[in-house]
Amino acid sequence: MDELRNYARELLEKEEVAAVIGYQQVTEKRTKPIVITDPAETSRLVFNEYCLNNLAVYLTKARIRSLMRTKDKTMKLAIVAKPCDVHSIVALIQENQIHRNDVHIISFNCHGVVKDFGCDFNGDNLAAKCIKCETHKPLYFDKIFGEEKQTPKAGDASLEKINELEKLNSKERFEFFKSEFDKCIKCYACRAVCPLCYCQRCITDKAIPRWIESSSHQRGNFSWNIVRAFHLSGRCTGCGECDRACPMDIPLSLINRRMAMEVKDLFSFVSGRSLETPTLVGNFDKKDSDEIFM
Amino acid sequence: MSFKMEEKIISKDDLLKLCGDVIAKGHTLLAPGIAEYEQVKDVSQIRLDSSALPTKTSYKSYVFPKAEPILYYKRSKSDVQLIDVDVNGKKIVVLGAKPCDTNSINILKHLFNWDYEDEFFNLRQKHFVIIGLMCSSFDEYCFCTSVGSSPVSEEGSDLFLIPINEDKFALRIITEKGKEFIEPYSEFLKDGDEAKSNAVLESIKKPEVAFDSKQVHEWLGDNFENPKWEGIGNVCLSCAQCAFVCPVCHCFDLVDEDYSYSEGRRMKNWDGCQFGHFTLHASGHNPRDIQSKRYRQRVNHKFRYYVDKFGEILCTGCGRCSRGCPVSIDIKEIVSNCKD
Ligand code: SF4
Ligand code: SF4
Ligand code: SF4
Ligand code: SF4
Ligand code: SF4
Repeated sequence: MDELRNYARELLEKEEVAAVIGYQQVTEKRTKPIVITDPAETSRLVFNEYCLNNLAVYLTKARIRSLMRTKDKTMKLAIVAKPCDVHSIVALIQENQIHRNDVHIISFNCHGVVKDFGCDFNGDNLAAKCIKCETHKPLYFDKIFGEEKQTPKAGDASLEKINELEKLNSKERFEFFKSEFDKCIKCYACRAVCPLCYCQRCITDKAIPRWIESSSHQRGNFSWNIVRAFHLSGRCTGCGECDRACPMDIPLSLINRRMAMEVKDLFSFVSGRSLETPTLVGNFDKKDSDEIFM
Repeated sequence: MSFKMEEKIISKDDLLKLCGDVIAKGHTLLAPGIAEYEQVKDVSQIRLDSSALPTKTSYKSYVFPKAEPILYYKRSKSDVQLIDVDVNGKKIVVLGAKPCDTNSINILKHLFNWDYEDEFFNLRQKHFVIIGLMCSSFDEYCFCTSVGSSPVSEEGSDLFLIPINEDKFALRIITEKGKEFIEPYSEFLKDGDEAKSNAVLESIKKPEVAFDSKQVHEWLGDNFENPKWEGIGNVCLSCAQCAFVCPVCHCFDLVDEDYSYSEGRRMKNWDGCQFGHFTLHASGHNPRDIQSKRYRQRVNHKFRYYVDKFGEILCTGCGRCSRGCPVSIDIKEIVSNCKD
């Protein structure tokens, strides 16, 4: 931990970065985000299996970006990012929301995080994304810490659920999602935590004309959750934050993961994995199948 | 209106029989489930566990629904016709309500009867019977004792349960409404021993008082501009998780939903003061344009404005907003920090 703290302190002291976005410990099994501008505060930084938040969400926030500009110069933002969070940063760079030169990525060799605060770290409590993680090492970084360690073994329950839903007929599947979406209270926590839900004004907040009913009744909830799923297809990096944030325990990742599988099958594309390939929707390839047009 | 509390004893079996009867009569019976207060279909669902932490959401939605039509309209070339909504005033019995929930409707009542009497709220509230259950455990987010309540508070309950042993509860009749509700079941009740159940209540461990709400009230008045708000505003993500799981947050939005040019309805939907567009004016001006101002509003509304207006803190100390916050913002910690 000292390495991380010293490194972050130096970045701030040498004025290489304007702020460090990282994690601080709250209780033994819980951390929370912290935005540090004072070098002395870097002593609070931690990195461990309880660093659940995907801090990439802060990179597009106006108030955080405003920290970058001082009177006489513009500085970078440093961010502590798990390898999977780096995917989100890559996606944001690809979508021109941030510039690679504006972020200083501090990453780790990662063997997983818990599915929720308060759990012990073991196979039973591994976050769903870690069970299927193909990265463990950041694809892009400016500094890397930590040793490679084995990720606990665990069964892929979310894939099993997807396969199970796949076997249902469309009416039964509709019933499943109907009962899930009925629970939605439109708190928009899923949108708030998502690094890729960065729209200044979300379509669901537009009132004239109103595209999506703001009422959290069945029609309003279906429109909201389906629009969100479509708008994130080919963009969602599978960080699982929406799922974790949803107070009503709606399994949002089932939808996002299924959409990502579709995108991978159709276009061999996985979001946030490469700075060299263009975004999925920003790129037209003559070889693309016509099947996707509705 | 003073009602003399009566102390009774009821066995767990008889309590479940009573619940079975409530369901058989077609009333709605709510009881804490894993994540929320669930509608009990079968009495075997009932846990009555005084050591359970508060559910993720409260039963607020049964008195103030997340989305409800308040009128229907028909429009023709020359006329608009308004059609009233028939409020479903079904009896709702909450069994095993946490002491940090029982008083929520009483707190909300002020707002919904302030400059306008909300008949939807009032009718539902009239048909609510709240059976509270003493609470025997807490976590780091609980702070009922800092907002004038406690794990053994009977406030807001019509009837109150205190577990005496594995299969017996002391049942306190607190209000006239509670008495009316329990009367048909008097065969289940035996006379209780108040001293004995008081001893149980006294033995319960209670969360330490984290702050003095009077001092917080004063500090807030003097610290509208304080750099502390900025720190919170940097981290908070502007969702409404905290408002929507809160038993006493009550902002709502009125929107018209047109089915067609000639027909539609007006909806009353939950809204939250942490949303960026909550205070956005038609002119484009936004008085709470940044998150720090919005979070400041949340704390001020709860611990200052509501107190000034209605004499009650707009917070029961349940800790739900903190437990569920995606970025672990802890209102107890923040309010405890409302000092120099
Ligand atoms: S998905 Fe991979 S990189 Fe992300 S936290 Fe889990 S193990 Fe680490
Ligand atoms: S949709 Fe959910 S899983 Fe996908 S990037 Fe956004 S928060 Fe992460
Ligand atoms: S977080 Fe859950 S309840 Fe909130 S808007 Fe998203 S899906 Fe709905
Ligand atoms: S305090 Fe937490 S739950 Fe409330 S708006 Fe901020 S991020 Fe959302
Ligand atoms: S503000 Fe938080 S702690 Fe207070 S009543 Fe609401 S949800 Fe509970």
